[in-house]
Amino acid sequence: MTSKTTVKLLLASGLASLMLMSPALAENMLRVSYSEDPKTADGQMTTDAYTLPLNIFDRLVESETTGPGESALVPGLAETWDVSEDGLTYTFHLRQGVKFHDGAVLTADDVVYTFDRMLNPATKALNTDILTFIAGAEDRLDGTADSVSGLKALDDHTVQITLAQPYAAFLALLAAPGASIYNRAFTEAAGDQFGLTPETTNGTGPFILRDYTLNDSQMLEANEDYWRGRPKLDRLLVRVVSDSETLRMLFESDEIDVLDLDYAPTQTPYFYGSDQWKDQIRSGPRVGIYYYNINQLKKPFDDVRVRKAFQIAIDRQTILDKNFYGKGKLEDGVIPRGLTCYAPAEPIEYNPAKARELLAEAGYPDGVEINLQQVSSWSTKWSDMNQIIQAQVAEAGFKANIVTTDEAAFLDARKAGEAEAYTQVWSADFNDPDNFFYTFFSESGSKTRGYNNDDPEVFAGIEKARGMVDQEERCKLYQDLTARIVGEDAAWVPLFSLDHSYVVQPRVKNFVVPWNGWSDMNYFNVEVE
Amino acid sequence: MLMFALRRILVSIPVLIGITLILFIMLNVVPGDPVALMMKEHASPEVIERVRAQMHLDDPLVVRYLSFLWNALQGDLGNSIKLNRPVTDLLLKAFPNTLMLAVCAALVSWVIGIPAGILSAVRRDSLLDRFFMGFSLLGVSMPVFWSALLLQYVFAMQLKLLPVSGFYGWEYMVLPAIVLGWSSAGVSARLTRSSLLEVMRHDYIRTARAKGLRETGVITRHALKNALIPVVTIMAIQVSGLLSGAVITEAIFSIPGVGRITVNAISSRDMPLLQGAVLFATVLVILGNLVADILYSVLDPRIRSQMKKDA
Amino acid sequence: MTLSADPAAILEPETIEEASFLRDTMRAFRRNRMAMVGLAFVVLLVLGAVFAPWISPHDPYRVELDEQLLPMSATYWLGTDNFGRDVLTRILYGARISLVVGIVPSLVSLLIGTVLGILSGYMGGKTDFVVMRLADMMIAFPSLLLAMVVMYTLGANLLNIFLALALVGWASVARVVRSQTLALREKEFIEAARANGTSRAVIMFSHIFPNVVPTLIVLFSLSIPEAIMWESSLSFLGVGVQPPEASWGLLVAKGKEYMFQAPAVAIAPGVAILLTVMAFNFIGDGLRDALDPSMKD
Repeated sequence: MTSKTTVKLLLASGLASLMLMSPALAENMLRVSYSEDPKTADGQMTTDAYTLPLNIFDRLVESETTGPGESALVPGLAETWDVSEDGLTYTFHLRQGVKFHDGAVLTADDVVYTFDRMLNPATKALNTDILTFIAGAEDRLDGTADSVSGLKALDDHTVQITLAQPYAAFLALLAAPGASIYNRAFTEAAGDQFGLTPETTNGTGPFILRDYTLNDSQMLEANEDYWRGRPKLDRLLVRVVSDSETLRMLFESDEIDVLDLDYAPTQTPYFYGSDQWKDQIRSGPRVGIYYYNINQLKKPFDDVRVRKAFQIAIDRQTILDKNFYGKGKLEDGVIPRGLTCYAPAEPIEYNPAKARELLAEAGYPDGVEINLQQVSSWSTKWSDMNQIIQAQVAEAGFKANIVTTDEAAFLDARKAGEAEAYTQVWSADFNDPDNFFYTFFSESGSKTRGYNNDDPEVFAGIEKARGMVDQEERCKLYQDLTARIVGEDAAWVPLFSLDHSYVVQPRVKNFVVPWNGWSDMNYFNVEVE
Repeated sequence: MLMFALRRILVSIPVLIGITLILFIMLNVVPGDPVALMMKEHASPEVIERVRAQMHLDDPLVVRYLSFLWNALQGDLGNSIKLNRPVTDLLLKAFPNTLMLAVCAALVSWVIGIPAGILSAVRRDSLLDRFFMGFSLLGVSMPVFWSALLLQYVFAMQLKLLPVSGFYGWEYMVLPAIVLGWSSAGVSARLTRSSLLEVMRHDYIRTARAKGLRETGVITRHALKNALIPVVTIMAIQVSGLLSGAVITEAIFSIPGVGRITVNAISSRDMPLLQGAVLFATVLVILGNLVADILYSVLDPRIRSQMKKDA
Repeated sequence: MTLSADPAAILEPETIEEASFLRDTMRAFRRNRMAMVGLAFVVLLVLGAVFAPWISPHDPYRVELDEQLLPMSATYWLGTDNFGRDVLTRILYGARISLVVGIVPSLVSLLIGTVLGILSGYMGGKTDFVVMRLADMMIAFPSLLLAMVVMYTLGANLLNIFLALALVGWASVARVVRSQTLALREKEFIEAARANGTSRAVIMFSHIFPNVVPTLIVLFSLSIPEAIMWESSLSFLGVGVQPPEASWGLLVAKGKEYMFQAPAVAIAPGVAILLTVMAFNFIGDGLRDALDPSMKD
């Protein structure tokens, strides 16, 4: 009997969920889609899906898009802030009267709680990197302290954060979606359910989470009391569509308002060529760099001439044109355009003949065998790139084998310093060169990311830049580091950065590609007619 | 009867336990660090180390298996690493969608398969027979991912008659149900046909014919009743087979069901979720077989008398 | 996805006079028109796969970005894919993978299943119990999921596909062989052999084994299309053969991205799967009918 009723129940609930979600065109509803379920609205618990955190919560400071690929840090929940001369103490003065969705008023204690929660080992947060510069953060993470010594609420509206050492990019970090501010009472009560359902999600942001159907959709509603003013949209429907052909069809049959061409790259020529759609394209640079990794512990890449030859044997322009429809720009440095301190670096030419000479000089007149790593669980984008590059470098005398392994084997090999060369992209987590330089070429990064570019001068330079206050000097240092890493040592093969294009329905107004070119964005300013 | 059912259920238990063991071993000897795999490029090595320690991944395998088994008995399949939610909740929430798809597909399969099988048997070796058998062979020979693509292309992209994918109303069920149902319609049709042909060879049918009953009468009143017994009994197996066969269909049509969860669990290397999803599907298959066995014993008088003799 | 609802009922084991049996079977098979069509197709496919480098003027791995997604033409009969590679050539090379994947794991699972099935049926007792419970478990696993789990654990490559498919396939073979062995064990000629003091190993492998061979042939022919289907599904889902190899499932998955611009890139390899699976099914049906006329229909 029980099993029968269960089945009935299940059937009934299936029916109910069918009826509930008809995407009828409500007034002022924007319908967007992402290829994967965001899994949570809690920015501390995710490293890859930030649309919910960006729309449901606010941060102390925000990165505002000021132009294509340009951003400025503007006040968020902190109305003003002071930084001490030594660059160690940050005092934030909170905006008064900001309310959470449940009506609670934002206080300095909420900020302290939020950051302490991130660093509390019981939270198992994934974005702890944002806050590890705060004094006492490491002790809290290790469980040797019950609170973070560098976090203090001076009064209801003032938060003081002390760093362990000066870190120039700290403010930029606080604008990252992972640094969203939560309410203490609500979040403590929600426990590990926080951010997983509408009932257990509460922020100060422009939208309120109303419905969350896993692997299907999320529905957000305008926050009438938002402190910047009510958003222009009444509702925001976020759908999960994993299939690119489906996505295009949904868009063309007007079932979604914004088509993110990142999720349907092969449709790019169609939309750019379509009379109906070409004026509806919104495009902006993406602050992320495609690169080829080279492991100097692996022969023949221990020889700088071979590395240099590999750099110039890749016809980057052709890859960009043919595989990415020309929507992007060649990159010659460590950081991509759009990032703080970006300056064009010495261009890397495409010259297979010279590459051949370099190989001969290095003792490989008849060419040399190299391995290109392919990871079976990565997207086919990477195997496509490898196949093209394999064909291209052959002309310079590289006999490239594509070695496919699963991700576990790859990560183990990389850890052990034995990984083969691989291609990937790095998108900025926050607007600072440290995010790139430290990740790849610091003493720890160079090892764990499989470069093994053992250059003490570079290590020291990157550490020094982290604490520098004078921005101009700091940028100069990064440019010198770039010349050394990419130019002299050829330790890094920069490929290109891409544009990020969207197609929007004519009724969508004010759609701006975010400064970093992310798919995840804040929809506060978007309007529909 | 009850004894038979009970015995069948009891026999399933060691099978189920064995399956959990096999599954657990297979998924837990995965080389590499599951945490590093799960967190992808942007997580720093320090964070990976920390999360790993928090997950008790360093306990001995036996301890982890026993605690998994004990919790599973209480309906707790652990927490999904990636989705940070209880696996049981995720599966139960997704299951109605999968069940809906499987039932619709089964209906398609029977509505097409059974009449096609009957017609084929009655008009044996006719053009009609050839057509239906060809049609069902096509069904079993077509890869689901390809027929799905083809139907999407024709009905959704070109004719724009039906939605491409998603799950927002009945019209969204049509293509997936046809795709999934077609392959099992072939099975239904062939089984119906051969079963009916066999029954029609029996004496009582000849007698009925000899008595001068019209052919349609003979078939509907006498032959069909017996011929459909095997068809009905495998219905349960078909439904459970469709439930687990929905993996690809759900992935292509973006249906938020158990199959989609399974594929996602694999691509995001979410071990507890994968473990739970496969176990869940396996239990369904076992249940389906159980129901089929019991149905068969209820419907088929020969087996029933056999069981009396056994008892 | 199995065609036969109950494989145990495929063949009634009989003692066989080899020469005439073989002749009768061949004649019956030759008379089956569909089976002959299937056979012809498979022969062509095998030839095409083996001699692909001589048949096709194109290199299946050559990247020529200036010739992306060309329509069908005299040079490229089915057009080109996103790297400017000839689709037909890729399909021909894909046939190599499909045929190997169809045959190798089927042979392995046949081997394991036969040994365990005969042992289980003839020895009875504990051996039988253990083998059959193991088989129960493997059969209770939904096959595609089991294969996916194996690929997840061992990593996606061709060798592991063999392993996964063999693991999925042996149990049903063992069941069928066991039930036939049980029936054979009671036959007079076996009892006579036993009475003569023939060792158990000899009875199992020189008396029982030859009598299950016809069944094995049918099982083999029917498991080939199934294995081809499994491989293409795994590769489609991205847990099977990896690019740049040209598995049909992979070709469909990749071609799908260009469905709007060049539908043939995705559709053609699917047709190849369809035709191949159908051809093997025809052959399997034909063999079954020929080996045991009583099972027709």
